[in-house]
Amino acid sequence: MLKILIPTIMLLPTIWFVPPKQLWSSALIYSLMIAFSSLIWLKTPVDTGWSFLNLYMATDSLSTPLLVLTCWLLPLMILASQNHASAEPINRQRAYIMLLTTLQIFLILAFSATELIMFYVMFEATLIPTLIIITRWGNQTERLNAGTYFLFYTLAGSLPLLVALLLLQNSAGTLSLTTLHYTPLSHLTSYAHKLWWAACVLAFLVKMPLYGAHLWLPKAHVEAPIAGSMILAAVLLKLGGYGMMRVMTMLEPLTKELSYPFIAFALWGIIMTGSICLRQTDLKSMIAYSSVSHMGLVAAGILIQTPWGSTGALILMIAHGLTSSALFCLANTNYERTHSRTMLLARGLQMVLPLMAAWWFIASLANLALPPLPNLMGELMIISSLFGWSPWTLLLTGIGTLITAGYSLYMFLMTQRGPLPPHIIALDPSYSRENLLIFLHLLPLLLMMFKPELIWGWAA
Amino acid sequence: MSAWRRLHVKMRVIRGFLASTWVTQRHSCRCGHLNFCRSLSTGGPLRNDFFKELEASLAAMRKKAADALPGSSWSPLEINPNLPPERADIVIIGGGVMGWSIAYWLKQKEMVREGVRVIVVERDPTYSQASTVLSAGGIRQQFSLPENIHLSLASADFMRNINEHLGVVNEDPVDLQFNHSGYLFLASEDVAHIMEKNYETQRYAGAKVSLLSPTQVKEKFPWINTEDVALASYGLENEGWFDPWTLLNAFRRKAISMGVTQCCGEVTDFKYVTNVMMTADGERMEMKRIKYVKVQMPNGLEYQPVECAIVVNAAGAFSGKLAEMMGIGLGPKNSISGIPVPVEPRKRYVYVVHCPNGPGLDTPFLIDYSGVYFRREGLGGNYIAGVSPEEVEEPETSNLEVDHQFFEDKVWPRLALRVPAFEKLKVTSAWAGFYDYNTFDQNGIIGIHPLVNNMYFATGFSGHGLQHSPAVGRAVSELILDGNFKTLDLSNFSFRRILTQEPMLERNIV
Repeated sequence: MLKILIPTIMLLPTIWFVPPKQLWSSALIYSLMIAFSSLIWLKTPVDTGWSFLNLYMATDSLSTPLLVLTCWLLPLMILASQNHASAEPINRQRAYIMLLTTLQIFLILAFSATELIMFYVMFEATLIPTLIIITRWGNQTERLNAGTYFLFYTLAGSLPLLVALLLLQNSAGTLSLTTLHYTPLSHLTSYAHKLWWAACVLAFLVKMPLYGAHLWLPKAHVEAPIAGSMILAAVLLKLGGYGMMRVMTMLEPLTKELSYPFIAFALWGIIMTGSICLRQTDLKSMIAYSSVSHMGLVAAGILIQTPWGSTGALILMIAHGLTSSALFCLANTNYERTHSRTMLLARGLQMVLPLMAAWWFIASLANLALPPLPNLMGELMIISSLFGWSPWTLLLTGIGTLITAGYSLYMFLMTQRGPLPPHIIALDPSYSRENLLIFLHLLPLLLMMFKPELIWGWAA
Repeated sequence: MSAWRRLHVKMRVIRGFLASTWVTQRHSCRCGHLNFCRSLSTGGPLRNDFFKELEASLAAMRKKAADALPGSSWSPLEINPNLPPERADIVIIGGGVMGWSIAYWLKQKEMVREGVRVIVVERDPTYSQASTVLSAGGIRQQFSLPENIHLSLASADFMRNINEHLGVVNEDPVDLQFNHSGYLFLASEDVAHIMEKNYETQRYAGAKVSLLSPTQVKEKFPWINTEDVALASYGLENEGWFDPWTLLNAFRRKAISMGVTQCCGEVTDFKYVTNVMMTADGERMEMKRIKYVKVQMPNGLEYQPVECAIVVNAAGAFSGKLAEMMGIGLGPKNSISGIPVPVEPRKRYVYVVHCPNGPGLDTPFLIDYSGVYFRREGLGGNYIAGVSPEEVEEPETSNLEVDHQFFEDKVWPRLALRVPAFEKLKVTSAWAGFYDYNTFDQNGIIGIHPLVNNMYFATGFSGHGLQHSPAVGRAVSELILDGNFKTLDLSNFSFRRILTQEPMLERNIV
């Protein structure tokens, strides 16, 4: 565990002392080495227990995939930001990479935390570098608004969580995840206990986001620079899912009744946000709403508390993280060339950038959950366990899948096919850096097809 | 006056809230309108509009509340509220009728709401030097190029149904004051064959034009002196004149209601990236791509770089100067980058004359073969007249001062010859305006520049831009959003003819 964390912390002074010419290449290679060495976490002998134990940190089969995803994403973020950050003074570039690295450190600590308060503190701590990235390096004046929404939605949701955790600490004596699963909490019948249940899950539902509390997400995703969008879509949303899965185990048996409205919100959100996607004109906004749609499915899968549901949720989180991040990178390649995120103005790109069109194709297919990609596995497991919970959910999830396919294809056809406007005939050809970036996103996705046990969690 | 008003108010109170009252107002017409929210018809509003007044009174209440509350409105971020947004998809430089027409059509053609972000940058909100409002406002189909005829036909159709296109809900309808009086071109013996050929082209393109012999002209319009006239061409439909200020404001009002941002500022610079490429012949070409448009605020040093994907040059008479900011025309002389945009301002005078015994209400827009033209203006016996000066006598373009001697020397003699009633007239006023004159072939330039990847041009119409503006706006929006012309094929107006030095001459330039 410390084998990965200490090098990541040491990346911080490295960034500041490396000569300017080698800044990006050294940061990239360093983080790539950390990413490859984080793959050792995947080799665990036991399926259910904790591995790589430490006094405060450990990994188990739920947090391992998310940890590896986090570590994998840092070199990708550095690759993606290289172009637009190169126009800035050198110290700002260093500050930018430093922010990405501190975000990485907080995320590793959050996913591997064994103590719930430590998880909570790291959960909140990730907000700060993200806020700085959005408001300082974002592109428009609306980024201040976006940062405010992002910060306050999450903070308002997580303050009740702090109270609830301290309450739990008082009553159970410990908040260590290793032992919390084994201490049964009884007498959870009064109204106060119901409020406590809501306080526990609300923070994570806002972070996921659940459909009713999702307003911060399109703003934050659209206004953030590419690295900000990537980390937000790929990992920060999954913090919510992960936290909910950890905390739910101790909230039985209240979840059986209290989760109803939230499952309803989640399922309805899939359809609503999917429909909003069909009307979007801004490419990044469309990918942001598609994130809300997928995470609605994840939220529903976690809330019904069945083995297949949790497994499906975890698989979908990993697959969606990679897919969404890849789509944001593709949208960024568009943006860097035409300086516009409007889909109407950058059409017919297949003629101009054919390899990029191939990546767009694969990423769109992954978004609409094409078999045999893990996106489909996750969705299918969630949909079938929801069907087992109540047959009527099939209506909502079925229509949701249809709309997802609709807008994914719409996005692909709008950007790649169609008439080529005369002002984008002479575009820069695709850089190798961009091709490598998308390839590194899609490679794990395709490899996971062959060994899904890595991301199954505790499924038997 | 005030007693009458008081009586009105009392009656309003008596009759109750829901009854309508008749309030008359006097409006001054034509130039001088800065507030485009006022009605576009020249009469006044006939009814009180509850919702319009409600908005205004709510805004006033809010302002009063904000003033009454403690605390000042100082903020540490002293941002000029007039600055354009930091980014837009399409920046249209030039807020004349061409620029606003393109903005309207871009918004009309986007398939979803807020599909494209358009801003129109205009440096002079009073339009004191803009060609649009200083134009004589005529529209005709009598051109020699079929494309020009089609453009005029499409624009006339647009303007006849203008309220379908440019009507805004809950606002007054647009009244263009389109006088369908037609154009009458008079040809002498030596140019009569050109007029016949043009007539055939015009009829083939669908314009309703008729050829008249001198006797027919005399029958129809007895006040004309048909000496030396061999042939006349009279437009029967879709020709006449209209109010250009109304058209401009109609486009502007509708475009703003559809979400176009208006910015008052001057474009001083472009930030662009250059890509050096070699052509197949080994010639070195620099392809430029505009990344930012630097807009400077009037009366100050503040500026805002507007990040944009596409720039449309609709700056009219000043398009050539704008293109120079991009380095077009500043390259070596025998290369493509050495060919400038051949648009420059040319001053033209218009004189308003009063003649009590002049031609009547059915006076067409008469254009003599010498180039002198006149048309009726209003119903009080006023006419406007002018002529295009010879190439060698072009007036200087540093200001819009009128040369009254020009009228005495060049306009009045031929005018009086053609219309004997005009021997006794009085010049009541005059103004001057710029033609965005295309020195190459006096026809518009529509399309993308070969060296600047994202700059579209819609300029150089040399005096017939206003009448083509709705159709050109539609064409440019098709180019931008659909990639190609859809309704009218104007590819002959592209930059290619300037690069290959093949002029597309229009014979009927007034």
